[in-house]
Amino acid sequence: MDKGNPRELWEYMLTQVELSISPANFNTWFRNSFIVRIGEDGVVYLGVPSQFFKDWYLKKFHALLLKIVRDVSYEFRNIEYLIVKDEHRKIPRENRNIRGALELPLDEFYINKSDNLNPRYTFDTFVIGSFNELAYAAAQATLERPGITYNPLFVYGDTGRGKTHLVQAVGNQFKKQYPGRKVFYLTSEKFVIDYTDSVQAGTANRFKDKYRHYDLLIMDDVQFLSKKERSEEELFHLFNALHDTNKQIVFSSDRPPVAIPDIAERLKGRLASGMTVDIGEPDSESRMAIVRRKASSHGVLLSDEVVEYVATSMNGSIRELEGMVNSIICHAQVKGLSPDIAEVRQSLRSFTRPQKNISVKNVVDKVAEYYGIDEESIYEKTRRREVVRPRQVIMYILREDFSISYPTIGTKLGGRDHTTVIHSCEKIKREVVVNNELAKEIQNIRTLLV
Amino acid sequence: MIISIEKKKFSEAVHTVSRFAERRSTTLPALSSILIIAGDEGIKMRATNLETGVDLKLEGDCTTKGAVAIPATILQQIASSLAPEGKITIEHAGDTISITSGNSKSVIKTVPYDDFPSIPFPENPKNRVVLPGVLLRTLFTFIAPCASSSAVRPELSSIYLSIEGGVLTAAATDSFRLAEKKVPLSNKGSQGKFLIPAKNALDIAQALPDDDIIMSFDEHQCAFVGDGGMFVSRLTNATYPDYRQIIPKESVVEAVMLRKDFESALKRTTIFSDTFQKVKMSFDPKKNLFSLFARNIDIGESSEAIMARISGSPLDLSFNHRYLATILSLTPAESLSLTAAGIGRPLIIKGVGDTSLMYLVSPMNQ
Repeated sequence: MDKGNPRELWEYMLTQVELSISPANFNTWFRNSFIVRIGEDGVVYLGVPSQFFKDWYLKKFHALLLKIVRDVSYEFRNIEYLIVKDEHRKIPRENRNIRGALELPLDEFYINKSDNLNPRYTFDTFVIGSFNELAYAAAQATLERPGITYNPLFVYGDTGRGKTHLVQAVGNQFKKQYPGRKVFYLTSEKFVIDYTDSVQAGTANRFKDKYRHYDLLIMDDVQFLSKKERSEEELFHLFNALHDTNKQIVFSSDRPPVAIPDIAERLKGRLASGMTVDIGEPDSESRMAIVRRKASSHGVLLSDEVVEYVATSMNGSIRELEGMVNSIICHAQVKGLSPDIAEVRQSLRSFTRPQKNISVKNVVDKVAEYYGIDEESIYEKTRRREVVRPRQVIMYILREDFSISYPTIGTKLGGRDHTTVIHSCEKIKREVVVNNELAKEIQNIRTLLV
Repeated sequence: MIISIEKKKFSEAVHTVSRFAERRSTTLPALSSILIIAGDEGIKMRATNLETGVDLKLEGDCTTKGAVAIPATILQQIASSLAPEGKITIEHAGDTISITSGNSKSVIKTVPYDDFPSIPFPENPKNRVVLPGVLLRTLFTFIAPCASSSAVRPELSSIYLSIEGGVLTAAATDSFRLAEKKVPLSNKGSQGKFLIPAKNALDIAQALPDDDIIMSFDEHQCAFVGDGGMFVSRLTNATYPDYRQIIPKESVVEAVMLRKDFESALKRTTIFSDTFQKVKMSFDPKKNLFSLFARNIDIGESSEAIMARISGSPLDLSFNHRYLATILSLTPAESLSLTAAGIGRPLIIKGVGDTSLMYLVSPMNQ
């Protein structure tokens, strides 16, 4: 809400008033009133239809209205009531569209139908840091001489690192640089669906032609192609066709080509044949830059303190980081103020996960309790069956859930060799797959530990 | 609250006051109610629809003080069914009141009176005029029908009142015809002007007492205070068109005729008027004949000639007959004078001997 705009302020006040008084009262007294102007000295001039209204406002609603405007801002000192001329009573409505722009940034959800690209993803909004520098440079090089320098460009990295942003930015930039050429963006899942649909409809040939005439094909999340043999084969042929005619192809995945399971070797080789770059975990400076960029793109200025807090309280996915920033922005827009650190802490409580710092002793206690054995026996050199299994489970949990190193686990649990720990972990890992009983036990222990 | 009032007084008061209550039921319940207040100042009845308001004093015995709001329609129905003699007792207990008269007793649910608005009095009633209520009543009832009934232009659906040099001038127009009436005032000092919505003026006129009242007004509000109570109305906040400009100064032809001749001629001619309600008027100074003519292709045609004293040059004009007929209700004069200023110019009708009234009608296209 723009508190300097009389109409928006009045609409806000109406929503507040409506909550406090009966509908009949509201309809009778507030229908034909509006804010005439907001004075320099902080006096809000309210236009009312007649003396009846003026008297009644002063008598009944003055305190309420004053409280509402004071809540909006302390700049508002007082409210005065004017009886307005009849012909002025109809408020001009022509500037309605301004509000629409503020209400919902619909363009964020806008996707260009012909190329599937979201215009929001551009290099202008892409934050470059040490973690994605290489990927960015590779993308730029690709755009310099598409189809020749790096073909295919294969970008991989964990979820929420900005892969989709990067590959879509390549597409949008390509469109800008080479206006005549055709770009198409799709996810591998869409590719599979498209293919199966075309096979069902008996139009497989059309399907082949459809993808072959693009100058730049961007395929997101290729790892989902695993185990889809027919689609893989189709992609293989498509790849060959595009590659041979020097058409650029860009792939993204959450893992390197060699690590994608259940995918044909010949396709794996081809995916890795161009440039393979990874996007690492963003360092804290980059994260701060991302937070700042995101907030300023929504017209909200965050203090350094807040930026730092947001950037450090969440590690990993940039997507989650953006989610946090969005939530702050939403709070800011509702209140009309930039939030301070205390408010941010409050509003982000739901986002931050509890820190997974847990002592080995704690785990040992819980597991021993669960199996009904003496916790001391875990640390002893005994090989009794009822002790060995819990000990292995402890090792497995410490390794899997808390990522403690094998040697540390060994030392903590009575000075055991790290190979013993490795063996135990592997054993449990194998057994969990086949032994439902054990899987359930471990699940129960995990809930105890949370 | 316990009060007792004479039935006749009660009925009259309820009829007067209920006119000012809100008739639509969609708004605040308090607005369609009558507030009865028994206090130090005696018994009062109040009602308002936020356009007009009334605060009426009642004679009666007040045993216990209090205030209560009752739906106006219910009270009105009860009042009209009461026999004229005797007294009624109103007793308020909890959220009901009981009205006892003789052997009958009705219990009515009340409306929360916290929501009942205050009746606003003009803030700085600098402008005060004392005049007989009956004068203002006739003024309003005569002039108000000439105001526009549409709300598109609030100034045209209002009566323009101006006080200058000891004369109160009231004017109303709907842009097709205009009526202006002047009444002399006893005190010459005050001056001012305001626009009162015609609908409100009519409501107030019907409730005004015959004896002297004080009319006071400011920029937004006017009040009419008499012995019996106070009536207020909001004023129209608009500028009234300068109607004096359209009054023709010169004349081409003038006709004077008997009112009853004109009335009967118009009545018959009206039967033959077409869908546009058109009546043609001819002035013939040579034969001293004034004639009305109307033709309807479905019915037929009719022409009426009246002996009149006509001076000037011959002229034909067409008018909407309804606008012509209005003059008959505006003046009681025995003779009418019609002054025309030419083709396409308005016609002025006055009552001979009645200088207070001026009525002006725009002609229709030929």
